[in-house]
Amino acid sequence: MAGKDTILTTLRDAVLVVVVSAALALTVNGVREEGIELVASRAYEVFVPCPEPLGEVTPVAPDDPLIGAARTVLVDARGEEEYGQWHHTGSLHIGFDYLEPVPMESVKKLAGSGAAAVVVYGDGDDPDSGREMARELAGRGLRNVYYVEGGAGALKK
Amino acid sequence: MTAERIMDWSGHRWLAFGARLYLAVIFGMAAAYKILHPGSFALDVATYGILPLSLINGFALVVPWVEAVVGVMLLAGFRVRAAALLVSGMMVMFMVALAVALAQGLDMSCGCFASAETGDADPIGWTTMVRDTAWLALAVYVLLADRRPLGLDGLWSARRKT
Repeated sequence: MAGKDTILTTLRDAVLVVVVSAALALTVNGVREEGIELVASRAYEVFVPCPEPLGEVTPVAPDDPLIGAARTVLVDARGEEEYGQWHHTGSLHIGFDYLEPVPMESVKKLAGSGAAAVVVYGDGDDPDSGREMARELAGRGLRNVYYVEGGAGALKK
Repeated sequence: MTAERIMDWSGHRWLAFGARLYLAVIFGMAAAYKILHPGSFALDVATYGILPLSLINGFALVVPWVEAVVGVMLLAGFRVRAAALLVSGMMVMFMVALAVALAQGLDMSCGCFASAETGDADPIGWTTMVRDTAWLALAVYVLLADRRPLGLDGLWSARRKT
């Protein structure tokens, strides 16, 4: 080991550094215009996106026979208005909100439907609401979840 | 005996010197952002959700100055072991906070060099943990192996000998 410093001397110096630094910090904060309160009077508004579990999903083409198969549940992830204007025959509407998780009752409904596959279509934008919902459903435990490439626009054609 | 032999290697003198200067630059850079933006750093500290509200601002004010003073001490070679001890302590503290945030799956700014609020996000991840581990290892190395090749400590002991 180098030097003659003892552990106690090193510790003493470290404590001194903290004390001097604290004094400097408080002095500078006291004199600067943009200084902050020593004790916050209001709670900080902290926004951290909650991580939703996301799963792997497979894209399917708009003309894939899986879409019309008897044991497939087709989900329209678009908003209510878009769904009202046009939707694929037999599709189930579950609007996808990027800021909210898919309601648990909808997930349970899909899980208990006995379907062999769940195919989601959305707005086909980038990001595609259909793909995002499919990933969330897969992440929450549903199996065989697919999304339609190109979304509702591709299905219409 | 073997440990003593390893520590007696003359190359430590310059390796530890390099590590010392590197840590001085890193801590100087980290301190600069936090001292210039105390409010943003306080928000980053709050985002970790570890400290109670009453301690957040005090922590956000004092820690950057400790980093700055320690950076200057490492650069100047003044009380290097105390500085290295403080760097090690701070790294352990940062790593614990980081581990808690990562375990919770938080997607947030590290607050190490920049802030999400100032627009220069520095997101946390396991690479941040690896980086901090490397810096902790360097600090411990300096603490154990520094031989004062250049700096005020070296000058002071040379003067005392003459």
